Amino acid sequence: MGFLSKKSQQVLTDPLISNNPIAIQILGICSALAVTVKMDTAVVMTLAVMFVLSLSNTVIAAIRKLIPNRVRIIVQLTIIASLVIIADQLLRAYMYDISKQLSVFVGLIITNCIVMGRAEAFAMQNPPGKAFLDGLGNAMGYGLILITVSFFREVFGSGSVFGFQVIPQAWYNAGYSNAGLFVLSPGAFIILGLFIWAQRSLTKFEEA
Amino acid sequence: MLEHYLSLVTKAIFIENILLAYFLGMCSFLAISKKVETSIGLGIAVVFVLTITAPANWLIHHFFLEEGALSWAGLPDVDLSYLNFIAFIAVIAAMVQLVEMILDRFSPALHQSLGIFLPLIAVNCAILGGSLFLVERQYTFGESTVFGFGSGMGWFLAITSMAAIRHKLRYSDVPVGLRGLGITMLLTGLLSMAFMAFSGIDL
Amino acid sequence: MRSNLYVLGFMSSVTIILGILLSLAATSLKEKQDLNIQLDIKKNILRSLGIPKDRSQKLSPDEVHTLFDEKIKTIRINEQGEEDPQGKLTVYVKMENGKPDGYAIPVSGKGLWSTIYGYLAIEPDGETVKGITFYKHGETPGLGGEIEKDWFTSNFVGKQIVDKNGKTVGIHIVKGKVNPNDKDAAHKVDGISGATMTGKGVTRFLEKDILMYAPFFQRIRAGVN
Repeated sequence: MGFLSKKSQQVLTDPLISNNPIAIQILGICSALAVTVKMDTAVVMTLAVMFVLSLSNTVIAAIRKLIPNRVRIIVQLTIIASLVIIADQLLRAYMYDISKQLSVFVGLIITNCIVMGRAEAFAMQNPPGKAFLDGLGNAMGYGLILITVSFFREVFGSGSVFGFQVIPQAWYNAGYSNAGLFVLSPGAFIILGLFIWAQRSLTKFEEA
Repeated sequence: MLEHYLSLVTKAIFIENILLAYFLGMCSFLAISKKVETSIGLGIAVVFVLTITAPANWLIHHFFLEEGALSWAGLPDVDLSYLNFIAFIAVIAAMVQLVEMILDRFSPALHQSLGIFLPLIAVNCAILGGSLFLVERQYTFGESTVFGFGSGMGWFLAITSMAAIRHKLRYSDVPVGLRGLGITMLLTGLLSMAFMAFSGIDL
Repeated sequence: MRSNLYVLGFMSSVTIILGILLSLAATSLKEKQDLNIQLDIKKNILRSLGIPKDRSQKLSPDEVHTLFDEKIKTIRINEQGEEDPQGKLTVYVKMENGKPDGYAIPVSGKGLWSTIYGYLAIEPDGETVKGITFYKHGETPGLGGEIEKDWFTSNFVGKQIVDKNGKTVGIHIVKGKVNPNDKDAAHKVDGISGATMTGKGVTRFLEKDILMYAPFFQRIRAGVN
């Protein structure tokens, strides 16, 4: 990323591991888990969040000096909700099958704490360019977890990756069977718990 | 009819708990479940707000936004359902404000104890999720109210039990990296597994 | 602190700008979305009738439209099962070389949470299931949502909707696996673990819809239609 200064690079890459929105900031877990049964839904959800988060951050940062302080939350919420509607309409028009599976969870991006949290904490104080990178970075950090969790859930739960079978048929013949638990909600909680454990042991992060 | 509502409540509370099966309202669940008293407070507030916003949003959807909903105003061809999200979130924010003001006026004691939680609720996914589900599942007005109440109760149950477990856990020797969020996620997993035992119960 | 007038003006302009943007997006994409819904219905009718033969093969939108126009004849029937342009019930007939090669009927009803919609296809013999698809539901992904998956729907193929005495029966979704020695095994399919209630709902509405179309299939078995 030669075209970015060191500082902007940090804005973009920090949220990936060391300041991950889900693992460290405890933001946006709701929708993170519901769409992780299969990898394709997780990827599309990540893209939708990327679209909403980077644009909402940019727009809010661009008009941050015009927004009256008293009504800033409602302005942020309106902008985010509008972007989510556009994302939802686009999905319905161009990726109908996946939008059917995501169902209400696209709408829930509105209340995804990451989006509001970044608007309030970053976009209100920074210029649009930087806010865009911050949004993109956070969405990628979010996507990283989503895709990792969905990878494990799909491999162990359905024996496939992106719908392609990866566990050889010979294993099934030898008595191996998919662990249904991973498809169900407890599997998601447990994988995320373990993931957070690993991530925190690596970064030596400790909760107060 | 009563049976039907009863079975809907049971489904919403136990069988497919909005938090343990749909992961909605996780953020506040994780942040607030450290103490039992506060989680009871937040839980009650969620029940309260969900029971009000679910039917309120049903009315909005049914009389304004749904395809053909505006036929009473002479506009049968208008389909505003794309405005669902924005209308719902606005209704929720307004309702939360309203509840806060009414509580302040008529029950200052309750307002004192719930006050700090109410603003938090406007961005709780469980509330918006409840409203989106009732559109997706084509509930009637009565069903929406009952479903709102049931989901709220389910959430209440989940957060208070988690708070109680975490209270017990305070003196346990948890590995460093697992402390806080990590162990809470694992526990939620176990809790949701326990709730799965309810699946298949038919009333 | 800014004046109330400024706040009011600001909010109004935000609302107007966003309102225009949203209605533009919604109206310009509406046509495409409606097409998608149409396409999805056609695709599912075709799938229930076994087109394409290889389940994993994906058809392009154009292929779906051509195949549908080419192979599917839509007829209306009345309650007695007679073909009747004024009839309330719809049957999609798959034509192969001028002869019917399967009949798809719409099925729908309550699952655990939501109304489930799908198509059930019967072989030209009027009693064997050719295939089934579910295309719209609000069941939990990974649990009840599995009804739309091939592993579940393929269990229906070859099942009977008529018992030995010639009585029309539904297809039952059992809890767990079907016992192959069960004398009613031809009317039963494996359930989805963790989704007993969805299974019960599907069983209920399949029976209701199959009975509704029973006169039609009776006529087919008798060779009248």
